[in-house]
Amino acid sequence: MACMPQSQVPSDIPIDPSRATARTRFWRGTELGSPIFLGYVPVGMAFGILARSLGFSTPEAVACSATALAGAGQFIALSVLSSGASVAAVLIATTIVNMRYVLFAATLSPYLRGVSIPKQAAVAFTLTDETFAVNIAEHRLGLSTPATMVGVGAIAWVGWVLGTFLGALGADWIGDPSRFGVGFAMPAMFTALFIALAEDWRHVVTGLLAGILVLALPVLTSLGVAISSSWFLVTASTLAATVATVVWHDE
Amino acid sequence: MTNNLSSATIWGVIVGMALLNYSVRFLPIAIVSRMDLPRPIMRWLSFIPISVMGALVASEVMRPGGQWSNPLTSPSVYAALVTAAVFKLTRSFLGATVAGMASFVVLQRVLPTLLG
Repeated sequence: MACMPQSQVPSDIPIDPSRATARTRFWRGTELGSPIFLGYVPVGMAFGILARSLGFSTPEAVACSATALAGAGQFIALSVLSSGASVAAVLIATTIVNMRYVLFAATLSPYLRGVSIPKQAAVAFTLTDETFAVNIAEHRLGLSTPATMVGVGAIAWVGWVLGTFLGALGADWIGDPSRFGVGFAMPAMFTALFIALAEDWRHVVTGLLAGILVLALPVLTSLGVAISSSWFLVTASTLAATVATVVWHDE
Repeated sequence: MTNNLSSATIWGVIVGMALLNYSVRFLPIAIVSRMDLPRPIMRWLSFIPISVMGALVASEVMRPGGQWSNPLTSPSVYAALVTAAVFKLTRSFLGATVAGMASFVVLQRVLPTLLG
């Protein structure tokens, strides 16, 4: 036994093919998610810089990004905090903005039937606008699996946390991140995702309707209709989807 | 900007956001994936992704930061068109995002002088 060469692979441990494929699928997910990574690093940096300017330490800013992973929600939390609001007010504001995740989660769940709770938990943890859209687009091609979704989420999480860390760390000498076009990273990603998700003309019409509604809501509010701006997105998209469902109910 | 947030406030926000965020993401997946949804609801859900993206693009491009912008002079509008065109041609999220950001930076500088 003692003279057995180190390199010899014990033949009584078979290579589990299903494990190998799950790993391949996970890495495919990280590949699919790489544009999200590149989009999240600069926006995460912007969050890190802003959080530091409000009195967060670097570990606090990183902990916030690592556990919340909510782009818009985190920026709103900062702006509500800076206005001197209570913890409860901050949490209510971010939760309203994050209510869209209920829709995303419900939309993804038919694809996650029969999937174990830990895997569902991992997919849920990294559910964002971008990971959702990439996973749905991949599903339309019939290629997505739970392992792929976890891979997409993992690379997105790394980008967001890494960006926050770099931003918080370099807050003092980076200065204003907007000169790198950071402000347009998210809108650009959403624009590309919109086109990727538009399957046919019905989708295009529904998406345009949602866009018109989301712009009409602030006009209505200025005329005295009481809708908080944090509800605009959820209201407009559920209304547009409802209209589409009613109009095209028999197809 | 205020610089006097207490550590308790900051950690209250961090822990509270983590718990609430995770609940709105995980509970619907855990519950809905164990139910049989009626067809109309499945149809409705199939229109949700495109609706959310349409609403996100419209508000980010037309009302950046919650303020109306003039669509004729707004760099966001033109940069979104560049992004859409690049994605249409290349089908690359990364390429489209980078092209969008780059054109946004350039347009921000160039548009005011071009349009007087």
